[in-house]
Amino acid sequence: MEKTVLHSAGDAARQWSGVTCPNETGRQMMADLLKIIADFEAVRGAMRFEDEPSDFEAALQACKEQMPKEQAPKEQMS
Amino acid sequence: MSITALRPASGDLATLSLTEAAAALAAGDTTAEALTAACLERIRRHDGRLNSVIWLEEEAALQAARAADQRRARGEATGPLHGIPMAHKDMYYQAGRPCTCGSAIRRDFRPAYTATVITRLEDAGAITMGGLNMAEFAQNPTGHNRHFGDCQNPWRHGAITGGSSSGSGVAVAASFAFMALGSDTGGSIRLPAAACGVTGLKPTQTRISRHGVMPLSFSCDNVGPLARSVRDCAAVMQVIAGHDPRDPTSAREPVPDYTAALTGDLRGLRIGVAQEWFLDEVDDKVHAAFMAALTVLRERGATVQAVTLPMMDQVLAYSAVVSRAEAATIHATWMRDQPGDYAAHLSGRLYPGYALPATHYIEALSRRGPVLRGFAQGVFGQVDLLASPTIAQALPSLDETRIDSGDPEAIRRFGAVSRNTRPFNYLGLPAISVPCGFDGHGAPVGLQLAGRPFGEATLMRATEALQRDTEWHRMRPELEG
Repeated sequence: MEKTVLHSAGDAARQWSGVTCPNETGRQMMADLLKIIADFEAVRGAMRFEDEPSDFEAALQACKEQMPKEQAPKEQMS
Repeated sequence: MSITALRPASGDLATLSLTEAAAALAAGDTTAEALTAACLERIRRHDGRLNSVIWLEEEAALQAARAADQRRARGEATGPLHGIPMAHKDMYYQAGRPCTCGSAIRRDFRPAYTATVITRLEDAGAITMGGLNMAEFAQNPTGHNRHFGDCQNPWRHGAITGGSSSGSGVAVAASFAFMALGSDTGGSIRLPAAACGVTGLKPTQTRISRHGVMPLSFSCDNVGPLARSVRDCAAVMQVIAGHDPRDPTSAREPVPDYTAALTGDLRGLRIGVAQEWFLDEVDDKVHAAFMAALTVLRERGATVQAVTLPMMDQVLAYSAVVSRAEAATIHATWMRDQPGDYAAHLSGRLYPGYALPATHYIEALSRRGPVLRGFAQGVFGQVDLLASPTIAQALPSLDETRIDSGDPEAIRRFGAVSRNTRPFNYLGLPAISVPCGFDGHGAPVGLQLAGRPFGEATLMRATEALQRDTEWHRMRPELEG
C-alpha cells in the first residue's frame, strides 16, 4: 500500500510538474507524504468548510492585541 | 571556548549595541566611519573561521559612512539609524548589487530594484555593508550551505548556527554588524538567534513589507531583525514596520511606538507554558535555563501558568502542506531544468511538494483563519504570551544534522531543530527569541515568547524586562584568529 502511494506520488510529480526524483534524499523525503496523509486523516471531520468566505487577514485583525494609548503612533497622539 | 562578557568599555566600538552606537553618534563620541571600520576590521580578522559573509563592499561602506558623517556635521542626520553599519541575509534585493540567495543558481543574480525594507533602513540612515551567508534559498533550519560553505557557530565550533538566517545570527553575535535582517518561514530568524545568543523577532504575518525579498512561501514568509538586544530590535522595527503600497499583502495596521512599550513593568502580564508539544523533547539544561528565565519574568510582575493548546493537530497537519506546496511551486522551473544545481537535501526536500493534492493545499489555506481564531480564543483567553524554549534540544553539530548523507537519524535531528518555531508561522503570530543561558556544551539557549497578532510591543516589553535583569544578551563569544 505504502509503495503504491509513493509510486503514485512520484508519477503525479512527473506528470503534473515534469519533476523527477532528484536523488536518494528525495526518495526518503517523499516517504514523509505518508505522515502528512496520516496527519490529514487525523483531523478529517474536525472542522467544516464555512459557507461564508474565510479570510486569514480578517482573523489576524479579529484576534489582534489592542494597542495601549501610550504606545499609539506619535502622529495620532493629539 | 570561554565565555566572556564584553562591555562597551572594552574599547572595540563594534561590540556596542545598536542603540549604544546610535547614542554615541548622536553625542559626537564616535563617527559612522569609525563604527564601520571597526566592523570591517572584525570581519577581516575573524570571518575566515566563521564564514558568515558572502559578499562585502568595503570601500562603498566606508564612503557611505563618510557621507553620513558629513551630513551629520551639517545638521542633516536622516534618521534614528544614521551612520549605523549593517549587513543582511543575502536575499534582500538591492539594485545592481549581488543577491545570491545562498545558491549556485542565483550566484550571479543582480536585482534591478531594491527591497522596501532596505530602502527604509537606508532612508533612516543605515549603511549596508554586504550580504550574509544563509541556507540555500532559505530552506533549512541548521545553516548548512554546500555552495558557500557552512557558517560556524561562534560559541562552539562545529555546532549548527541555526538557519536559515545563519550568517545574520553569526554576524550579530560576532559583532560584525549592529543588526542584520533575517527571514522566517518556519523559524529562520528565531533559530539562529537562539543558537548564536542574540535577539531575533519574527513579526506578525503582514506586519513588514516583503517587496524585493526572495520568496520561499508566500503565506508564511516574514522579514525581521536580529540584533544584540530587544531595544535594538525595537529601534529597527520602528523603521521597517508598516504598510507598503508595493506589497499589497502588508497590513495597514498602525505602527505603535515600540520603544515606549519598553517600561520594564510586567505587572498583570500572564505568561502561559504549554502542556504539550513544546516541552516534549526538552533537554535538561535547556529546561533549567528556560525555567530560570520564567522566574525572572515572574519577579518583574508577570504571572506564569500552565496552558493547554487547542487546535495543535490542525496546526501541525496544515502547516506541513502550505510551505511545502508554495516552495515547490516557486522552484518548479529550476527543479525541472537544473535539479543538480541544488544541494541534495534541498532538491530532496522540494520533491514531495509536487505530489501534494491541490485540494489539500486549499484546505490547509482556507482553514488558516478558523484555526487561528480557535487557537487565539483558547490560548489568549487564558494568557497574554506563550513561552517555550526556542530550540528544545542541546544544540546538535553540523555533522549530526548533515542530511545530504541520507542518514535517517540526521534527518530526524534536522527536523527536531525547528519543532518549536514552526507552528507560529502557520498561525501568523509574532514570536521573539532572546538568549537565556547556555546548554551543557557551551552553546546558547533561547527563550521564545509568542503573542497575539500585532502584539510585538508586548513581546518586546516582556523580553526587554528580562534583559534588564540578566546579562545573557551582553555576553559575547571569545573569537580566535
